[in-house]
Amino acid sequence: MANLRDKYCIVGVGETEYSRSSGRTTRAMGVEAVRNAMHDAGLQPGDIDGMLSYHGNDSTSATAISSDLGIRLNFYMDVIGGGSSTEALVGLAMGVMEVGMCRTVAIFRSMNGYSEVRIGGTGARAATPVRGGDLATRPYGMLSAGQNFAPTFMRHMHDYGTTSAQVARVKVAHSKHASNNPKALLKQRVSVEDVLSSRWITKPLHLLDCCLETDNATCIIVASAERAKDLKQRPVYIMGVAGRVSKPRVDFHFVHGPVSRVAGYYAKDIVFPMAGIGPEDVDITGSYDAFTFTTMLQLEEYGFCPKGEGGAYVSSGIIELGGKRPNNTSGGHLCEGYTHGMSMVIENTRQLRGMVDDYCPRWQEGVHTYDYAEGKCRQVRDAEITMNLGWANPATGSALILRR
Amino acid sequence: MQAQYRGMNLIIPDTDTEWKGYFAAAREHRLVLKRCGHCRLLRYPPGAACPWCTSLEWCWQEVSGKGTIYSYEIVMQAIQAGFRDWAPYAVVLVELDEQRGQPSADEGLRLISNLVTDDFKAEKEENVAIGKRVEVTFLDVSSDLSLPLFKLSPELPQGSVWQFK
Repeated sequence: MANLRDKYCIVGVGETEYSRSSGRTTRAMGVEAVRNAMHDAGLQPGDIDGMLSYHGNDSTSATAISSDLGIRLNFYMDVIGGGSSTEALVGLAMGVMEVGMCRTVAIFRSMNGYSEVRIGGTGARAATPVRGGDLATRPYGMLSAGQNFAPTFMRHMHDYGTTSAQVARVKVAHSKHASNNPKALLKQRVSVEDVLSSRWITKPLHLLDCCLETDNATCIIVASAERAKDLKQRPVYIMGVAGRVSKPRVDFHFVHGPVSRVAGYYAKDIVFPMAGIGPEDVDITGSYDAFTFTTMLQLEEYGFCPKGEGGAYVSSGIIELGGKRPNNTSGGHLCEGYTHGMSMVIENTRQLRGMVDDYCPRWQEGVHTYDYAEGKCRQVRDAEITMNLGWANPATGSALILRR
Repeated sequence: MQAQYRGMNLIIPDTDTEWKGYFAAAREHRLVLKRCGHCRLLRYPPGAACPWCTSLEWCWQEVSGKGTIYSYEIVMQAIQAGFRDWAPYAVVLVELDEQRGQPSADEGLRLISNLVTDDFKAEKEENVAIGKRVEVTFLDVSSDLSLPLFKLSPELPQGSVWQFK
């Protein structure tokens, strides 16, 4: 098959407010997010003919969202999945357009991830019966994402000497970025000491090593580069994509090590050759920060630093605005809000347009100050290439490389 | 098999060809794993086919229940309500002695469990460390369901021991 590099674009992005009490249905939020993305792209309902969504917890089907907005679809699919689905569905959208099934695909995710079905695993999720594969973990009080991932991080600390203070710098960086993001749920800048003195959740994770739980909806619209030229926004080209790449024995990856290795080890060999670039060419990363250490694990696995040196990498200042390669310039899941990965792709799209919504008075005209002091700018100067690193769990990951 | 344990409804139907034999043996306080009828390799979790040769033939094989802590975490804030009176508790990833480093160097028979004392209290954090030797023990949850757990073994560690500080 021909390389599809630069043949498809992200043409529209949109979201709702991030909150912990949306006070409305996932359907209402999903409709608003898709509508916002359509307006962002300059598209009408009749222009959208494909729709994809994913359901990790609660959501709403594409049939409901499209019907409410008067969109008739030539293709739709609601898939099961959480993190890592964003990038995977961008790849799927390219595939269905490539074979001619539809022309413009809206990808959305809608969840009341705090007020209804809590992502952290309490409430409805904890009450479900334990059977089948869950018998390997849940009877032992291992249920939430933090509990499921912690042994991977602990083994990394054992194998490489990684410390809590090192990964705390991920939260510090993302909080700095969120302080310049009007949408962010947590805008307060924090210190390493704040992270280390926050209460324990499951050792080695403190409260501030963990992301937020959030109510919100998000949407990304993908179309051909040819079509993108006629639309409202500067096109953002898709250079490479890898979707839901897994480690061996993905259902219980602990039996196939190294346990401190994550799926990016495999995904990098798909996404970088497709894009024709290497890690050194990337200006901004969007690494899935369900936890501070998930960001670290992915960045090292994709080769932004040698394996085992992720702790040093994330604590070097490189990942902060003003550093060589900022990560999650919106504040990400740790500070902006939790979206199962969608918001990090939306942020990188806006970065490549030169149009992030910061506190610069003229950001809507693409005019930024590049002053990264609190309450100011978060636009990266002349960002040309971004990369998203999607994460479902240590054993499954996705990646997406975009350029302006 | 069905039992209430720490607020959870554990269900193993008669048709559960993956787990039924595992828990039937656990009720007799034996730890068993599936063994491939073709290549003879043991596997965990008890999947439907052999992940190395795809054979659908298998039998249950008893193992020693001895192993080493490969990784762990100390749950300080329980998510499940039924674990609140037990926290802090250790979730351990135990590597069994059988088939270590086979069929490839990074593979092993590793199970998630809890590290407990002889009287089934959560083992103290200061006693939990990567590299420590452990052995299986069984908690009788109900008249027909027992749960494999692990306790510290009197054996000395074979290599270095590492603990999160």
